[in-house]
Amino acid sequence: MNIVDAFIIIGVAALIHASFQLGVSMLTLLSSHTIGKNRSHAKLLRLIGSYLIGAGVMTTLLLSTTSLVLLNILDAAQIPLLTWAVACGLLMGLGVAMWAFYYRKEQGTTLWLPRSLATYLAERTKATHLSGEAFGLGLTGVIAELLFIIGPLLISALVLVQLPPAWQLAGVGFYTVVSLLSLLIVASLIGSGHKISQIQKWREHNKRFLQFIGGGGLMILGLYVYVEKVVTALTASGIQ
Amino acid sequence: MADTLIDIVKREGRRPSEQFQRDKLHASIYAACLSVRAHEGEAKKIADTITDLVIAWCNTKPEVTSGDLRRVAARHLHSYHPDAAYLYEQHKLVF
Repeated sequence: MNIVDAFIIIGVAALIHASFQLGVSMLTLLSSHTIGKNRSHAKLLRLIGSYLIGAGVMTTLLLSTTSLVLLNILDAAQIPLLTWAVACGLLMGLGVAMWAFYYRKEQGTTLWLPRSLATYLAERTKATHLSGEAFGLGLTGVIAELLFIIGPLLISALVLVQLPPAWQLAGVGFYTVVSLLSLLIVASLIGSGHKISQIQKWREHNKRFLQFIGGGGLMILGLYVYVEKVVTALTASGIQ
Repeated sequence: MADTLIDIVKREGRRPSEQFQRDKLHASIYAACLSVRAHEGEAKKIADTITDLVIAWCNTKPEVTSGDLRRVAARHLHSYHPDAAYLYEQHKLVF
């Protein structure tokens, strides 16, 4: 796989990661409570910044760790077809799961999370008033959505380990930045003075669309990588 | 500060009831208004008005739940500041 192809797969996987909504929900609630408590704009920006750094650090750590584990258990030059098939199956399964139950059948943007975890995260988000807490919240937000993030992370790690070391670092950075795009957009909207209610209304009105493209993206990526890695290899070995 | 002698049933009775607190309701409406970038004076005025309306409504009921309070406050808030009302209603529906 050449570097451009690898970065396209990593970019698409990161965009799918960016379409997941838990991080955006937490950022929206954090901002709403900070503004509602009449804290200064500088404080709001500090909390948002810390939250973004936390989410970025956890994404980097998760991708690096997954890649490291794969490097230790697999031969990077020859990843077994079964591993690719399992990763693609996971992506497609997650795509179906996203279509089926990513959002609850309620008003608002309530997600699949168990209610006890959602309540805990909401309470923690409301109680956050220090930059360190916001950083921790960013870390937690990524972990809490690991069930869906694991698919794009795994496929990106499988692609990354085949790249030269310098490109691996670039790939990790690229994935992290692209996966944070939705948070960066929402953060810049809030930072520039947009109303939280407008952002939340947009999210609520477009939640089915976001669910559709997220789930569809997972399935299309899984199918593409399956054809590129598994079917092509099987066909080539059959011809020889 | 408990201004009226009304017991609020919390979470359909799953948590102990507590006495109605005007300040608590006022603070939540005030925060919702500030969250949608309303000015402090406007937010305070709206919160005062809505709180009085909710108290008047409560005085006609034998029993009130925390959900009732939120619904009635949101309904009144809608006519004063629709954006704040939306955010107030969304409180538990963000994730």
